[in-house]
Amino acid sequence: MIAVHFEGVKKTYPHFALDDINFSLPAGCVMGFIGANGAGKSTTIRILMGLVHADGGTVRVLGHAMPAEQAAAKLDIGFVSEDMRLYPSATIAWHMEFIRSIYPQWDATYAESLLRRFDLKKEQKVKGLSHGQRVKAALLLALARKPKLLVLDEPTTGLDPVARREVLEEFMAVLADEERTILFSSHNTLDVEQISDQITFIDRGRIIDSNDKEIFLDRWRRLRLVLPADSELPSVPGVIEVGGSGRMPVLTTNRFEPAMVSAYRDKGATVQAVDNMTLEEIFVANVSSRRAGERA
Amino acid sequence: MNYPMVKILMLKDWYLQRWIILATFAGGLASLGIIAIGSDGAFFIGLLLLITALVALSGQLAMSAIVGERKEQTLPFVMSLPISYREYTTSKIVGNLLIFVVPWAVMAIGSFALLAFSPKSQGLIPYTAIMATEILVNACLVASVAVITEAQSWTIAAIILGNIGLNGIGYLVAHVNGVARWMWGSSIHWSPAAYALLITEFAIIGLMIGFTFFTQSRKKDFL
Repeated sequence: MIAVHFEGVKKTYPHFALDDINFSLPAGCVMGFIGANGAGKSTTIRILMGLVHADGGTVRVLGHAMPAEQAAAKLDIGFVSEDMRLYPSATIAWHMEFIRSIYPQWDATYAESLLRRFDLKKEQKVKGLSHGQRVKAALLLALARKPKLLVLDEPTTGLDPVARREVLEEFMAVLADEERTILFSSHNTLDVEQISDQITFIDRGRIIDSNDKEIFLDRWRRLRLVLPADSELPSVPGVIEVGGSGRMPVLTTNRFEPAMVSAYRDKGATVQAVDNMTLEEIFVANVSSRRAGERA
Repeated sequence: MNYPMVKILMLKDWYLQRWIILATFAGGLASLGIIAIGSDGAFFIGLLLLITALVALSGQLAMSAIVGERKEQTLPFVMSLPISYREYTTSKIVGNLLIFVVPWAVMAIGSFALLAFSPKSQGLIPYTAIMATEILVNACLVASVAVITEAQSWTIAAIILGNIGLNGIGYLVAHVNGVARWMWGSSIHWSPAAYALLITEFAIIGLMIGFTFFTQSRKKDFL
């Protein structure tokens, strides 16, 4: 089953446009949605939630057409965003009771265990909470309603390392439930890399790449070569970026295969190293090669 | 329309605004107490305090329960719940007007009772009814502007405009022949002019609510 499906989605603002957004998120998967600030992550997520109406294209979430059926869809969605706040004058206990009155699937035992794990006190008013505690309280309210789809828009932004670790650990615990689908947007690739099994990159309002995390990590490599004197870099398919200097180029490829190494060796180059790339390096290389392609 | 969800949202606003409601009740009842003293001075001071309490309530509700949702960034939390924007708008308009109507009705009935028990000033009842309804029109204007714009500046402008309008309309109504002729008499006289003014006020309330829902239905971005 497909939990989230975007097809040809467009949204135009005076100074920004989402252009032809297409992606699918199968049920039970965790998708990391990565983009720089202002890339269009939050707008995409707001369209997904029915909070912004697209100018064109179709969006289906948990089988519901958005935004028309948003109320039914949101019964099974837990949403936490960086800019979401709870009511400052109310206590965490009041918020828990408020959410419980709306969601029949609210799990009170799980909510209590999250309170302990996140070190939150029910009687505390939201205005007295730190940023990290506020995020944890919002997560508790989203998780204990046992949603089929968890949509997290930059949830770890602004958290200290300890709070971030606790939050990520809770996400990992949630992943034990194979029915649960998560869309996790962030510009922090380290967080995304830890919990996602699918990755989608967005830049300047366009999806630039979307695939399994392992495929990204397998296919993207950096090759460090040493060329013989007076020779040029041999042309091998799959190289998207050339760095380094003269005789010692550093190549970035998104279609790595062991045959590439043999191809360079056959053409007289010495392959000094084949380095794995982190998701952050892949994201940066992907964005810069696309932008360079657009400029050319 | 998911009415149970609308009711939950309205009850939420009642809970979050409970201190404002209680303060208005206290201020309003104190004002009625001052009016009940019976002297001319007490009557005008009490009336002024009563109107101030109601105008303050409508402004405070709009700023806190409607504009505050965006300003305090609680709107993403509310809109993440299983509701449509139509249901959100209904909860805000109906919920806020209900919160307002309860103290408004208590104070309007209290005012009528005080006037009715004072044989000298029973002629003021139609004028009081028109002005009490005008306060309701004012509250509706402020709530509608707050829901449509979600902006503090526009809502403050609506509060100021409503307040000036209230004074201006109070002056004009007091000079409408069909109202002024019997205003200071000792018996109640409902003239066609008084009825026409009341009907116009309720029609304006209906139009404002309709316009608010129409405008909201055309919005494409809710965050």
